[in-house]
Amino acid sequence: MISKKAIILTFILVIISPIFGVILADMVGYHEPLDLAAESLGLEDISEEINWTPFFDYTVPGLPDVIGYIIAGFIGVFIVLGLGIGLSKIMGSK
Amino acid sequence: MHIPDGFLDPMVSAVTYVIMIIFCGYAFYKVKKEKLQDKMVLASVLAAGIFAAQMLNWPIPGGTSLHFVGGALAGIILGPWLGCIALFLVLFVQCLVFHDGGITALGANVFNMAIVDVIVGYVFYKIFPEKYKIFGAFLGGWLGITLAGIVCGIELGISSQFIFELPVTVSVMGGWHALLGTIEGIITAGVVAYIQKRAPHLIK
Repeated sequence: MISKKAIILTFILVIISPIFGVILADMVGYHEPLDLAAESLGLEDISEEINWTPFFDYTVPGLPDVIGYIIAGFIGVFIVLGLGIGLSKIMGSK
Repeated sequence: MHIPDGFLDPMVSAVTYVIMIIFCGYAFYKVKKEKLQDKMVLASVLAAGIFAAQMLNWPIPGGTSLHFVGGALAGIILGPWLGCIALFLVLFVQCLVFHDGGITALGANVFNMAIVDVIVGYVFYKIFPEKYKIFGAFLGGWLGITLAGIVCGIELGISSQFIFELPVTVSVMGGWHALLGTIEGIITAGVVAYIQKRAPHLIK
């Protein structure tokens, strides 16, 4: 029962996530403490140069950022669930 | 707090990878030995929820931001071994599918968020008597993220060519996470209070 509620809550979080992850982040500028520490050291993020995934930074090629963020969220949620349930089978869950 | 590629030197990267392999390997062994496999589905659901919650970035007036990490919450609900596996799943998928967190920094990110944060949350929840468990959950959430931030600062600092940068990175990461971590503590305590009331059997 609680798992069902947790899944519904998860889906709601994914659907509203672009408000915080895209729209507000673009308006205010996402800047977490790690970025501040990296700036003080002059470190360079090379993720984009060595990127391997079409879903880089929760985007989906060809889709606007807001929609892409939601689709990416669902892709991630299903992969996490699938991997976890798959592992539980491998480990002998009944 | 996800360290991207390019921030860590090869030695820090290698050491944290070794810690990740040993601790996560031991966590899988403990789950099997203590016959916790049946809770893996619950761990997967919680991991999926934490993945979604981490996508909500909260901009804080004044120019910084945070998102919920959830390591302490996983430690409290699932215990240290399943909690570690749940956060490992989240970080693994974020890294490989979305390149959120570098492949060279996966060991460090797992160490900070799936080991340090999970264990701190679990320990603080455990040591408080029944009557004060919610306060323990708050402290676990707050201090878990603060300590994870400090450890992250150490990893960055010792990766730097200039060792005098270490106090800078530790104070920036520790200071900000001590401040922003209060929100993590409040969310952690809120979720634990809800589960205690509605499904107390889920929390060991």
